[in-house]
This record gives sequence, structure tokens and C-alpha cells, in this order.
Amino acid sequence: MGPLYKLGWFDFAYGLQMAGLIGFFFGFVLERAGFGNVRKLTAIFYLRDFAVLKVMFTAIVVCMLGLLYFSVFGWIDLSHVYILPTYIWPQIVGGLVLGIGFIMGGYCPTTSIVATVSGKLDGLIFIVGMIIGSFIFAEIFPLLEKFYSAGDMGAIRLSDVLSLNSGIIAFLVCLMAVGAYWFVEKVENKFGDRDTLPGGSKRVKRSAAAILILLGLILAIINPDRVVVNRPVPQVQTQRRVEEIQKPSPKAEKPSSTKFEIVEDEGC
Amino acid sequence: MNQRYANPYVIGTLLGLVMLFSFYTMGRGVGSSSTFARVATAGVDLVAPEHAKANAYFSKYLSGSRSPLMAWLVFLSMGAGLGGLFSAFIANRVAGEVARGPSIGVSARLWLALGGGILSGFAARLARGCTSGQALTGASELAFGSWIFMLSIFAGAYATAYFFRKEWL
Repeated sequence: MGPLYKLGWFDFAYGLQMAGLIGFFFGFVLERAGFGNVRKLTAIFYLRDFAVLKVMFTAIVVCMLGLLYFSVFGWIDLSHVYILPTYIWPQIVGGLVLGIGFIMGGYCPTTSIVATVSGKLDGLIFIVGMIIGSFIFAEIFPLLEKFYSAGDMGAIRLSDVLSLNSGIIAFLVCLMAVGAYWFVEKVENKFGDRDTLPGGSKRVKRSAAAILILLGLILAIINPDRVVVNRPVPQVQTQRRVEEIQKPSPKAEKPSSTKFEIVEDEGC
Repeated sequence: MNQRYANPYVIGTLLGLVMLFSFYTMGRGVGSSSTFARVATAGVDLVAPEHAKANAYFSKYLSGSRSPLMAWLVFLSMGAGLGGLFSAFIANRVAGEVARGPSIGVSARLWLALGGGILSGFAARLARGCTSGQALTGASELAFGSWIFMLSIFAGAYATAYFFRKEWL
């Protein structure tokens, strides 16, 4: 049962190697999508090519469904997954400024790495800018400290805000994603260059959309929140797990053989 | 140069699976922006260690005996660089150039890239993450603030896209 690291399957040093591996696939798929190309990235803001939105929404929907189904099957314990806390005001202002930085510089942080390694000097300059921006933030942090913690709502989720169970939220997200794909393809066909837009048969797209909605609908019906709460505590299978459960606090979960610790206060 | 890119829906599915793998193994999603904050911290720590330790934000990355660069997202970013290079290389897309629209000069583009980078680096620290670590990761966990953050990114970019049209179109 996952997450493996939090349950003591491997230590920090091995986690860093995992990070390298996960990063490799992350960078690889971003470059495959053309996200090292600044004009492909910014085309979304001129309604010509919505690849950014399609990739983002599809990744979110796939990962969301995966997490919820894994938790229903008992493959992952979501209480050990780090949920990003909500600080609503800095997130709104940060998002707006990041959006302006995106259209001005042409990249977001990860895509600038991909652009830089494919030889784009502007990507490297963007990275230099981000280092300077982080430096400025830290230097004026005493002034921002109050705003940085403004609107603290804790690790709150959409299901808490809307008072709906996660399954219904997942179903709504699936519907929203399919609706967004349909809408942006209409817009693309109007404003975009048809020669460079991806093809794909209508039948495949319709089938994929139907599968997506079906998977969401199943979640909405079985209600993952209820299934997970009602599940009996799984039988301890290994000696290591026995030791963990006997430890008094969840903080003591880290492997005791190392002095390494998890830094969890950051999402990105 | 090869301009044929993969289908975005296929890429999105693969990216979602990469994120799911990250959650399953490490209990957290992907990200990158704090890498740059850590590089800044390491630089300040090298030049003025006392100043770095006195600063409330830098000191966050300096706790413990390790270098601020011995961190999960730093290794993830390095991996992303390697993966991106591999993909660009096999598609014959590695080329030294300044990417820009047809109606802007090289130096203007580089200054704007610097400005955009500064804004992005600052904003990512303020919002505790960027497009990947906050928007993608948080949204797939259905975290409320991450959805608001993602909508804010699009709002900020669409609202100002008109003023930067000469840079791209």
C-alpha cells in the first residue's frame, strides 16, 4: 500500500533517485508535447492552440481518478498524501502575477527548464529571472509575512468547500474537462492554424470522453469517502509496519537509521 | 527542425500517470519552482551565510545539516532537464536560439524573459508553488486553493496577453 516512502519502504537518499526518475519522465513528456517551444506555450493566450489546457486538464483528471480509485481499492492511503494547504489570498495574487510572468516571459518554471536544455537562451534567462525573483521574495519576506499567511483555510478540499463527496466532485471535474475540450477545439478551429493542430478521429475522442465520464460516474455512485472511512484497518503484514504502528507519533515514521527528514512545507 | 508534437491528450494521460506514480511512491506530486529558490538560498549562503541564516525565508531551506540543494524537487528538476534534453535530442529539436515571435528583437525578448522570470519566481514563492507543484498537483488532489490558483494564472495571463501580443504573434 502506498505511498511507499511515507510508509517507510525506502529512505531519503533513495527518494532523491526516485525524484530524478520521475523528473526524467516529467521533462520527457513536456518536451514531447512541444512545451519547450515558447510560441506553442503562449498560443493558448491568443486562442490559437490550447495544448497547454488539454495537457493540464487531462493530467489532472487522470491523476485524480487514479488517486481516488487507488484509495477505493486500498492501494494508497490518502491520509499519508501531502494535501496542499489553502492560503486563499496569496494564492489568488500569486496566480495572477504568475500568469503575467507566464505571458511576459513565455514560460512557466518547469517548461523553462525544458526550453533551456533544448538550447533556448531565453529559457535560461527566464531561469535566471526566477532565481532573482525568489531572492527578492526572501529579502522582502518580513514585509510580506502577514500576507503570506492570509486566508489560511488549512488543507481544505473542494469536497469540503462544496459539501459534496469526492466522488461527485470527481464526476463534475470529468464533465468539466470534457466540456472544456469540446469548447476549446471549437475555438481552435476558428482562430488556429489547422495544419499544425493535432488531428485525431472523432470516434476515438468520443469514446475516450465516454470512458472518462463513466469512470467519474462510478466514483460518484460508490462515494470513495464512505468506502475509505468504513474500511477496516488492514492486517499488518511486515515487521517494519508493526514497528511503525507501535511508534507514538506519525512524525516518527521516518526510517530511524538516517537523520534525513522530509521538508513538506512546499508544494512546488 | 522537427515541429511535429505528440497529441496533447496522449501527453496529458502520460503526465497524469507520472504524477500518480509520484503520489504512489513518494506521497507527493511533481513540481519545480522551489528549485530556483533553493539555488538562490545556496548562493546567498555561500556569499553571506550569516545573512542567509538571519532571513526568515532563506533559513527555511537551511534547516538541518544538508545543503539546501539536497532536496527532492532539485533532483526532480535535474531529471526534468535530462528528460527534456533526451526528448528534444531524439526529435532533432536541440538548437541554440532565442525563441520569439517574428516582430520582436532579440534583446527586447531577453529583457522580457528576465522580467517574466522575476515575476514568476516571486509569484511562485508567494503562492507556495507554480503551475506544476501547485496547479497540477493540488488540482488532482482536489485541493481548493490550487483550483483557485490555477484559475488565477489563466485570468492573469488572458487579462494581459493583449499587451504582449507583439512578442509572440
